[in-house]
Parts: sequence; structure tokens; C-alpha cells
Amino acid sequence: MTKTSTRRGFMKGGLTAGAALATAGLVAPARAGGDPAITEIQDWNRYSGAGVDASPYGKPSDFEAHVMRRNVAWLTADPVSSVNFTPLHELDGIITPNGLCFERHHAGVAEVDPQQHRLMINGLVDTPLVFTMADLMRFPRENHIYFLECAANSGMEWRGAQLNGCQYTHGMVHCVMYTGVKLKHLLAEAGVKTAGKWVMPEGADASAMTRSIPLEKAMEDCLVAFKMNGEALRPEQGYPLRLVVPGWEGNMWVKWLRRLEVGDEPWHAREETSKYTDLLANGKARRFTWVMDVKSVITSPSPQMPITHGKGRTVLTGLAWSGAGKISRVDVSLDGGRNWVTARLDGPSLTKALHRFYHEFDWDGSELFLQSRAIDEAGFVQPTKQELRAVRGANSIYHNNGIQTWHVAKDGVVENVEIS
Amino acid sequence: MSRFLKALAVLAPFLITANGATAQDADAGAKVFNKCKACHVVGEGAKHRVGPELNDLFGRTAGSAEGYKYSPAMTTAGEGGLVWNDESLHAYLVAPRSFVKGTKMAFAGLKKQEEIDNLLAFLKSYSSDAAAPQEEEAKPEEKSEAPAAAPEKKTEAEIPPPSAAPATAVATHGVFHLGRPATGDEIAAWDIDVRPDGQGLPDGRGTVAQGEVLYSDQCAACHGDFGEAIGRWPVLAGGLDTLTNDRPVKSIGSYWPYLSTVYDYIRRSMPFGDARSLSDDDVYALTAYVLYLNDIVTDEDFELSRDNFTAVDMPNKDGFIDDDRLSETHYADKAEPCMKDCRPGTAEITAHAAVLDVTPDGEDDGEGAPSIE
Ligand code: HEC
Ligand code: HEC
Repeated sequence: MTKTSTRRGFMKGGLTAGAALATAGLVAPARAGGDPAITEIQDWNRYSGAGVDASPYGKPSDFEAHVMRRNVAWLTADPVSSVNFTPLHELDGIITPNGLCFERHHAGVAEVDPQQHRLMINGLVDTPLVFTMADLMRFPRENHIYFLECAANSGMEWRGAQLNGCQYTHGMVHCVMYTGVKLKHLLAEAGVKTAGKWVMPEGADASAMTRSIPLEKAMEDCLVAFKMNGEALRPEQGYPLRLVVPGWEGNMWVKWLRRLEVGDEPWHAREETSKYTDLLANGKARRFTWVMDVKSVITSPSPQMPITHGKGRTVLTGLAWSGAGKISRVDVSLDGGRNWVTARLDGPSLTKALHRFYHEFDWDGSELFLQSRAIDEAGFVQPTKQELRAVRGANSIYHNNGIQTWHVAKDGVVENVEIS
Repeated sequence: MSRFLKALAVLAPFLITANGATAQDADAGAKVFNKCKACHVVGEGAKHRVGPELNDLFGRTAGSAEGYKYSPAMTTAGEGGLVWNDESLHAYLVAPRSFVKGTKMAFAGLKKQEEIDNLLAFLKSYSSDAAAPQEEEAKPEEKSEAPAAAPEKKTEAEIPPPSAAPATAVATHGVFHLGRPATGDEIAAWDIDVRPDGQGLPDGRGTVAQGEVLYSDQCAACHGDFGEAIGRWPVLAGGLDTLTNDRPVKSIGSYWPYLSTVYDYIRRSMPFGDARSLSDDDVYALTAYVLYLNDIVTDEDFELSRDNFTAVDMPNKDGFIDDDRLSETHYADKAEPCMKDCRPGTAEITAHAAVLDVTPDGEDDGEGAPSIE
């Protein structure tokens, strides 16, 4: 198994393994007797494996131990208020496994006892209410698959190519199936007064995160969720309760949700003034930029997923998503945006969920500049980074949905680059 | 059913439990009534003052005292069926302006359950139609609770049961009748948010000089003596007029539009690792000190309180605009994108990630690289 702990080590390991495989592929037929993977009896073929309860919860194969969330230690002062990234390059389909969903906390992972957890609704409501988890389980439930993207995803890239790997450039996104209760049912239970125009969710953790959400959105599709991919929310995703704000920036999806206040004006909390406001070149900042724009990224090949098989049949794959709804099309370019072909979307196409795309081609071994460009059902087209910088400057931090370029060298090594 | 009646129907069972468990004390209630005296009179010969007289309040239809000019909201509430009794008074006195939206009663509300119980007992003594049936109903409730509520649980008597409404009660609020009404104490415990207009500011005060002491003890280790920040901890001061620079410094002084955000955030989240440990006065003092660090106030004796809070203007208060991304051409035109020969020449690399080598496992520790927010 791969025991390398660093990306470089892993990449080297990957390359060597790939080279070995390629060699095996070429040489094996010539070998007397054939491939030892076939001609020799493997341990797993001979001896019994572990019994049923060896791992009562279950975990991935040891051979997949390198597939994990990773952080960039120097990005923040302290891991307690920090972020790590989803290993997008290792995943397929549209669902992110719970243990790989990126984490962003402002005061660490709260360990909330569900028996002691309460959800309060107060403010401009007829009856301020308190719910226990058991109360919430008695509301009608719904299941929805949604992506969650941090508004700062790709934020490092505003100033130019920085981090070498889609895990780091695009890994603040995940997509799971949530089970929960429509927020509108909870609000109706308390009775929103006519003056109520905004809803403020608040977390129970030591950061007591708050955001202002317009009532319209709250009534439209927000969920108060307790399950992800069928099991209880993971602690780092807000166990036992989180808000789901489909298509809108991840910071609003308040974790460890304990309170919803209805008001007639927004609160201008720290996370919607100091943070999550987009500074433009003219010194003004946009606020309340909630919707996550149409975006895509090629997850393989990518810096952490070099081409190791040499020339010939190659599978290019990636993810696309939009806060405006479904993805209607993804185009890919192998020559840095000069020419485009439409990729194949595969798997479920759900509103405000990740979409998986593929493009299979025969690589001739020449240098490539891979790009992907998503188009959503509202007709929005993913812009280039140059277009974004031209209107916004380079200090916006948030909402960078520009087209990503990966350079594939002749040896199959992939790098994050900016091109002319 | 009017929203008042809906709200009340559910309050009833809960109140009964609470009342049953807490002895109402009319004498203590007389003291609580001091808070009302500025505007209300009760007792023999009571006249309308700023607010209506409160004799025979129990059983009175809201907004119906002869000769008093109510707000349209109160009159409408009465016409909609609001009658004053234990439940409705409880709801009104916890949060007058959210229970009767538009009431002209300028009173913030009573937070303590016990105070309200006692006050209502006091007011009842001036009402001939005091709601007797509820006291009867309370008794079986009390009895059935008694064996379970062991003596050592006495202090919990005022705390509503952790599960929803008592099993015997059928709540009628909302659609599914789930959950139970929040008490005033509960709301007060959690609802600590402060808005730019000052809504939510608690009583209290603190000076720059007091803030300085707190700050050097509890904040400077991370945020620096002058708010300049140690290492990658957040900056709290400086950076004025840098927002158009290549490397803007977004601090409270240079960037934050509202002072309320400072108070609200420090109170809920700081000091990092020991949130909610500061008193309301401490937070006023620290907020004043952060203003001082940013040269927004310059006098060490400056005292910040609820009274002068909203008068403080932040330098960048006009620095924000609403989301206008859709006006950007690449969004607005929604054009069919080019598929062939879209750019001239072949692609040339203009920047490598490797050049900046800030890749996580690189030797570079990222010094000088932008930080994530
Ligand atoms: C600052 C003045 C003020 C204070 C203090 C005040 N009230 Fe009032 N109150 C009013 C006014 C004005 C009204 C009339 C409201 C309206 O018409 O909307 C009113 C209305 C009421 C009513 C409705 C009476 C009716 O006939 O419909 C009740 C009950 C009441 N107040 C109780 C109290 C109690 C109990 C307190 C103390 C805990 C209190 N108020 C404190 C000004 C005040
Ligand atoms: C142990 C280090 C530490 C200490 C001590 C500390 N803070 Fe902080 N402070 C932080 C961190 C970390 C953040 C950002 C938290 C996050 O990620 O949301 C922060 C954020 C802030 C912010 C918001 C900054 C911005 O630009 O958004 C303010 C204001 C603040 N702290 C004030 C204080 C005050 C006042 C104290 C003392 C009572 C204090 N802090 C003590 C670490 C600290």
C-alpha cells in the first residue's frame, strides 16, 4: 500500500507505480508463464480474511489510505479555525463520501449531545418555539442531493495559479444527499409575522455563527437536515443539525444549528461584512453575494492525477455545478481554449447538485492545456479568469468561478498554470 | 383562528405547569409593577396615563378600556379576539412589540418567568374576573408531576421539561403542533444578536481605558498590542485607505461598515477558545478600545454604552454595494460560447503554480501568500 504522506511523495509513488504498470503491460506477454498477478496464488486467494465484525462501522481499503482530506497548514493561524479540502481527484460520480467532505470550522468541531440539542425559533413569529431532535423527527422529511461550495473555493487563485492540485484549488465543495425538514414547515409552525423578511440561523458551536438569509429563500428550498448520505451528519458537518441553503455559499449552511431568528432587516453579522463580501478594484465591496456561480473543474488528469499510462486511450473527467440549477452542458478544451468539444454528462442531473462529465480521447503524447467550461440551465456560461479579473480585480477572495487550466507535459505530469 | 389565539392555545399548557410549580407572589409582583408605573396605574381611582389603567385587566378585550386612545394595532388585536388572561399577558409582556406588532407600548419586555408570574398575581388582585379555571386545571397537573419531580429537582421546577409540551397537553400552534413555546428566559439566553440600528444591545457601558486592560490580558496575544495581529491571527486595526491597494488590509477600522458587528462578534465568539466569557460591560469596553486602536475615538475616557452606540460612524460605512454580478458582461449576455478557433495562436504558459511554489508540501511556508478567510 502507498504509505507516502506528502503529495510529492505520493505523486512520485503514483508515477513510479504507473511506470511499473506500463512496463508490465508491455512486457508481460513476453514473459514466460505470464503475469504473476495471475500465475501466482495471491494471499487473499488462499487464506480466509477477517470476520464480519472486524470493522463494525466499515472503512475504505487500506490501499486507499492516501485518499483523504488535506489542509494547507500555513493558510490559517490555527487548525481550530481552518479548512481542509475534498480529494476531488480521487472521486467519481457525484456523491462525496461523508468522511471526505471538506471541513471549515471557526471554532473547531463542536461535540453536541443530541439529547441536549435544541432548535429555537424566535423573533418576528407568533409563537417562539423550541424543538428537540425528537420533535424535528416528527415533521415530514425530504431527501435532496445538493452541492455545498465555500464561497472562498478557488479564492487563492485570484492572483494567479497557486496551488498544485484540484483538491486545493477546487476542494471546498462536496455533494451529498441530505435528509431533513423543509425550513418553511418549521417557520410555519411558529408563524412568521408579516413584518418578517429575514431569517438568521445561528450555530451552537463556540463561534455561534450567524448569517442573514432572506425569507424568500428560507421558504423556497432550505432544509434543516439531520442526515447526510443516509447516516447522521458527521460532527464536522454540524451533527446533529445543520441548515441546507441549496446553491448558496457554504458559510450560510450553519452547522450545529440551534436557533432561527426572524427579523425585518438583515443583521450584518461578521460573516457578511468582514468576511464573505467581495472587494472590487475600486475599493467598494459587494455584499450579500449568495449564489454560487456556474463552475467546473477537470479532476483527472490534474496535478495529483498525472497521466501514467502513456499515449493512447485516456479518460478525462470532472465536475460541474451551478447555484442557478442544473448543468446543461460542459465543454472541454485540450488546447487552452482555442477549440472546444462538448463533454459527456453522466449520472443523475439534479438541480444544485454536482454533475459528472467525461471526455474520452486518444492522447498522442503531446503537451495539452486542459480546460472545462460549464453552462447551466439558466444560460450562464463559466467565464475565464481573465474576464473575472478584468471586472473585479484580484482582491475579491470569494466567488472565483473562472476556467481552470491544467498543463499536461509530454511525460504526463500535470501542473496548475495560467496561459495566454 | 387569529394568530393571537393560535399563539395562546399553545402557551396555555406550558404556563399551567410553570404556574403550578412556582408559587405566585402578589407582593413580589408589586415590586415588578414598578417597571410599569411610569406609564400605568392600577388600583382605586386609577386613570389612564401614558398607557391605559389596568384595573379589571383579566377578561378585558385588548384595546377596549373606555377613554383611552390605543394604537390601531392594539384595537385590531382586540377586534381579532385577543382577550387579556394569563397566557396572553405572558406572551405580551415577554415581547410586547412582537406579540402585538405595532403596539405603541414602548417597553422592552420582561425576561424572567418568575417576575411575570408574580406580576400577574399582583394584577389579578385588581381584577374581579381573574381566570380561576386555570388554577383548578393546574392541580392535577401538579399532582401527576409530583412523584416524578423528586425534591432535588426543585430548582428545575421553573425550567420547562426538555421534551416538547407536556404529554397531557395538546398544542395547537402551527400546522403539526410540534415543539413547545420558548420561555422569555430561554430567548434571552440565546438571542444576543445586535443589529446596526442598535436592536439587541444590552444595558451596560465600558471605557477605552477599561478595554485596554481587558485587551492586553485577553486579546493581545493573538491580535497584537495595537491590533496589528501576531502571525496569521486576524488584524483588528490599521489599513485605512488601503482598499484599492494591491494588498489591501481589511480591518475593523478600514473595512467594517457597522460597529454593531464588532460588539455582536466579540460577545458571541471571542476570546477565541473561551467564547461567552465576557460580561456585557467588558464587551462595551473592548469595543470602545478597538475603536481607539483604529483612531475612531481618541479619548481614553470615552465611554461606550447603549445610549451613544449608534452615534459612532465607521469609516467604511458607505463602502458596500449589493450584489450586481449579473451586470457583468460575461453573465449578462449569456451568449452561445465559441467552439472553434476561439483565441489566436497557441497557448503559452504565463504563470506556473510551481513558480510561486506555495503548494502545500513545498519547502515554502507560504509567507507572503494570500491567506484564506
Ligand atoms: C413606556 C410606557 C409603558 C410602560 C413602561 C409599560 N406600558 Fe403597558 N402600555 C403602554 C401603552 C402606551 C399602551 C397602549 C398600547 C397600544 O395602544 O398599543 C400599553 C398597553 C398595555 C396593556 C394593554 C391594555 C389594554 O387595555 O389593552 C397591558 C396589559 C400593559 N400595557 C401592561 C403593562 C405592564 C404589566 C407593564 C410593566 C411590566 C407595562 N405595561 C409597561 C405603555 C407602557
Ligand atoms: C487565541 C487567539 C485569539 C485570542 C486570544 C483572541 N482572538 Fe479574536 N480572533 C481569533 C481568531 C482565530 C479569529 C478568526 C476566527 C474565525 O475563523 O472565524 C478572531 C477574530 C476576531 C475578530 C474578527 C476579526 C475580523 O477581521 O473578522 C475580532 C473583532 C476579534 N477576534 C476580537 C477579539 C477580542 C476583543 C479578543 C479578546 C477578548 C480576542 N479577539 C481574543 C483569535 C483570537
